[in-house]
Amino acid sequence: MSKPGLLLLDLGGCEGCSLSIIRVLPQLSRIVEVYSRYTGNLDLKQKYDYAVLTGPICLNSGDHIEMLKKIREQTNTLLAYGSCASVGGIILYARGGQEPRPEHRVYAPLSRIVKIDYAVPGCPPAPQMLITLLNHIKQGRGFFLDLFKAVASIHKLSGFDLMDEVVLPGLCVGCGACVLSCPTQALHVIDNHPDLIPEKCIRCGTCTVRCPRFSQILIRRYLRTSIQQNIMGGSR
Amino acid sequence: MIAYQPIVLDPDKPLGNYIVVYDARTRDQRVRERKKTGGGAVTSFVIYLIEKNIVDAVVVARRKKGLVGEIVVARSAEEILSTVGNRWSVVPYTLKLREILSSSNIRRVVFVGLPCQAQFLKQMKMFPLMESDFSSKIYLIISLFCMGTYAIEGFIDYMKRTYSIKAEDIVDIHVAGDKLVVKHSSGVLEIPISETLYYLQHGCLTCPDYTGVFSDLSAGMSSKPGYTLLIVRNKLVDKLLHEAETHGYLELEEASTESIEYVINKSREKMRKAYEYLSHIL
Ligand code: SF4
Ligand code: SF4
Ligand code: SF4
Repeated sequence: MSKPGLLLLDLGGCEGCSLSIIRVLPQLSRIVEVYSRYTGNLDLKQKYDYAVLTGPICLNSGDHIEMLKKIREQTNTLLAYGSCASVGGIILYARGGQEPRPEHRVYAPLSRIVKIDYAVPGCPPAPQMLITLLNHIKQGRGFFLDLFKAVASIHKLSGFDLMDEVVLPGLCVGCGACVLSCPTQALHVIDNHPDLIPEKCIRCGTCTVRCPRFSQILIRRYLRTSIQQNIMGGSR
Repeated sequence: MIAYQPIVLDPDKPLGNYIVVYDARTRDQRVRERKKTGGGAVTSFVIYLIEKNIVDAVVVARRKKGLVGEIVVARSAEEILSTVGNRWSVVPYTLKLREILSSSNIRRVVFVGLPCQAQFLKQMKMFPLMESDFSSKIYLIISLFCMGTYAIEGFIDYMKRTYSIKAEDIVDIHVAGDKLVVKHSSGVLEIPISETLYYLQHGCLTCPDYTGVFSDLSAGMSSKPGYTLLIVRNKLVDKLLHEAETHGYLELEEASTESIEYVINKSREKMRKAYEYLSHIL
């Protein structure tokens, strides 16, 4: 049986995600047939089983939006990989000058334009992440897959949401997962519960999917398949 | 390597995925002397892992004073023994923990925590979102059964107001049937658990996980007196447990249907309540 085809494409951003993926290219090539700039066989015209897109989409860039829509049509499973592609990330703060040029400044996670199947925060996700994720997608089911599926239907997710949805409503149990997960130390513990230092939050979303309470809320709220309604209590 | 397994939180599978369930108890004199309730099997197991150099450190919570706890990175049997006892609050993992674990002479770590902590540790291990994560060092995740933890300030205040017991005078708290048994410096107090429900953490009321389905090994009080119920979720843990038994650290027997039914009922009950509560607040 031939390996499934996977398109790797960076839409802009800092290249951190690309670098992280390049580091597992050999492993990746063992499970899928990779098509990308790095492997010299980028082809935006063919159909793919998977597409792994990194970087955000600029809402003022017609070409990119059309390209994204076309990729969606041609692809079975579309992954928004890394914080910018999945939840906006630090590029939400960008004020022009980045790719795609020229002075475009309205960046958004890919889910604003097309339907995404799995959205993975992380700035950037550790290299091994992509391999684990693809292996799980092949096998089909599980809590964490559901979580990344749920993230695919939202347009923002950050420390601010963690405060609004979990900490301030009193749902935080003080486990410390968010604090351990924040790459910029924007969260610190005060009286056993986290507090956000707003200027330090790069809106990467990592803390939210690591929080046991927030992940539960995300699945419950955004994953509306019939199984999930059963599992998460919709009909019980 | 631990194989991929889909992890589910599903009322039809209240204990999650597992391969075998044991009733176990310690055979280690050091643990027998210290333990308060249960079978002491987890303590014995992690002491085995440390003493045979299978792991370099055990991350576990210890009660400091009153109900306040701290996370310790234990590297010897003595340090592990100092953590024996019941815990009534979540002790947050901190940046300091990450710092300690980044040391190059710590390569393999066992975590003993609550189901909520097992969840993110497993995510860290399986789906590393950050390179600075200590994912590669997480060797085993052990989760202790959890019905919920108290919001410390509220609970302490309640004990003081209602029973004139100060936090620093509390020696031990454990559950016996539907009573909370509080041992304190001048006696023993029994209060119905129902009376203390207001002082549970709000977030625990939405928590559906009693045993810790994300862990490699779940452990807690068995319905068989003097035993710890062990839910083994993969072959590696099973192998290590049998080795610990061979070396005389603990004894294992396959759990009876009654022991398993008991924990299934508790898990179902917690899940049901959590989903009911969640549907009120979302
Ligand atoms: S608080 Fe930290 S982890 Fe959370 S979104 Fe902000 S930067 Fe990311
Ligand atoms: S991860 Fe969630 S529950 Fe845990 S401390 Fe952070 S906000 Fe609280
Ligand atoms: S009830 Fe759940 S959230 Fe609360 S401490 Fe226990 S495992 Fe953690």
